[in-house]
Amino acid sequence: MPITLVQGLVVTLLATICAIDLQLEGFFLFRPIIVAPLVGLALGDIQTGLLGGALAELAFAGITAVGGTVPPDPVLAGVMTVVLARTTGQPVTATFAMSIPFAILAQYASLLYNTALAFVNPRAERYAKEGNVKGILNLCTVSIILHALVYAVIIFLSTYVAQNGIRILVESLPEWLTHGLDVAGGLIPAVGFAMLLKVMLKGSFVPYLFLGFLFATFIPFDNILPVGILGVACALIAFYQSAKGPGGRVDGAIPIDGPEGGSDVGI
Amino acid sequence: MSEYKPEATSAPTAPASPAAPRTILSKHDVSNIAWLSLLNQAAFNMERMQNIGFTATMAPALRKIYKDQPEALAAALEDNMEFVNTHNVTQPFLTALMVSLYEKGESVETVRNIKVSLFGPLAGIGDALFWFTLMPIMAGISASLANNGSVLGPILYFLVFLAAFILRFPLAHWGYDIGTRAFALISANARRVNQAATILGVTILGGLIANYVALSTPLEVPIGDGNTIALQTEFFDKIIPNILPLAFTFGILALLRKKVNPALLIILIIVAAVILSVVGVL
Repeated sequence: MPITLVQGLVVTLLATICAIDLQLEGFFLFRPIIVAPLVGLALGDIQTGLLGGALAELAFAGITAVGGTVPPDPVLAGVMTVVLARTTGQPVTATFAMSIPFAILAQYASLLYNTALAFVNPRAERYAKEGNVKGILNLCTVSIILHALVYAVIIFLSTYVAQNGIRILVESLPEWLTHGLDVAGGLIPAVGFAMLLKVMLKGSFVPYLFLGFLFATFIPFDNILPVGILGVACALIAFYQSAKGPGGRVDGAIPIDGPEGGSDVGI
Repeated sequence: MSEYKPEATSAPTAPASPAAPRTILSKHDVSNIAWLSLLNQAAFNMERMQNIGFTATMAPALRKIYKDQPEALAAALEDNMEFVNTHNVTQPFLTALMVSLYEKGESVETVRNIKVSLFGPLAGIGDALFWFTLMPIMAGISASLANNGSVLGPILYFLVFLAAFILRFPLAHWGYDIGTRAFALISANARRVNQAATILGVTILGGLIANYVALSTPLEVPIGDGNTIALQTEFFDKIIPNILPLAFTFGILALLRKKVNPALLIILIIVAAVILSVVGVL
């Protein structure tokens, strides 16, 4: 059953609201279990929405946006699972698989958007220097609106205008380009870390960088919490050691030169 | 805690005395931080991630704190434009804590060190609670309800994560109270706290480099007799895993110290990544 223009617009509106929440992670409206039933409602078939949502939600339960990575897009997966079930008459198990190219397209669109947004940083810094609070808040608003527009276009094209075209486009994206963007996405966070290190990394703190690095490398874990506990332990050792030493120099202990610059004789 | 100066009594009502513990923000201002934390990822970018939204969360409160000190406002805002990435639900705890320290007159440097030492662990706690615990549980429950055709599935899911959003408000007030109470302690030990916080922050950064920066090569080097060595798995990983991300980060650090523009670095990284993956090096 084809999607009418009105249905296409309503689906685009609802799914774009969910996509804004995907960016903000405020209310978790972006999960397939919410998106798919909403789309089902808009298409007058909430049962298909519930079934597609349940399937896609479980499939996406292990795919999370932890740590700044951009996973396949849960909004497009939810939308297209239901839309394709309605247009092709296939069961949701089949249309969920068919939804993945659309989810990957939105994933790369998000990745590109988030990468391009790095070029807003100089402007954000300028507003900060000027004490321009309104300017900083406006940057957030404008970014939300632009992001929503990108999604609205993708969703409307995918659902109403060019379902087949989009699928062919995604499938014909050259491997070297998608792989290259993947690689770049893995490298760019290094710039952010290096900027912090530029401020914080003074001679006597270098050992702790290596400690954290080694710990995280050899104890692969889903999140940074164990490294945090190691860091707390190191910080407490230094804190209590520096209380004991009368003049700030502690014998046989971890070097404790403060950021305001003692000499590195402790090393 | 300020030393008593007799001549100060001649103007006891001077409002701008920086040493006196100040209370400028109302409860409403703190709740506003929880609302504004919705902007945390509004301008999410791959270079510094949540920096703009994180700063925006605190910006109206900072404007109130530094009403008559435009330079101090600019310094605090500018300092927060560096990289930050934490969990969105635990973010208001951190921002409210930082705001309370700014309010009491703590130095920008000390607040930054506390921020850098806390954002990673708070992200870990938030990810562990919400992404890795609550989400799979709710996905399982809601999907089984929805699979039986019940709209209760999505509704229940929505209500639980709505509660997670509402949790931001008590977290903001909690963080603000902790900052207020910890201020005296932090001020009295500023040097030691700074140092301990920097150690924690640098340790976390070491872990973040290992976890977030991804760089590996599919190159294979021929060693004669038609045999090859996989450069990544049989060479780099044998020295130490993640050695390439670490080396890469130090390389970027060296370039930044030579005052290379970060935006230019990002363009170069994208171009180089695409070219190097075309020729098969990455």
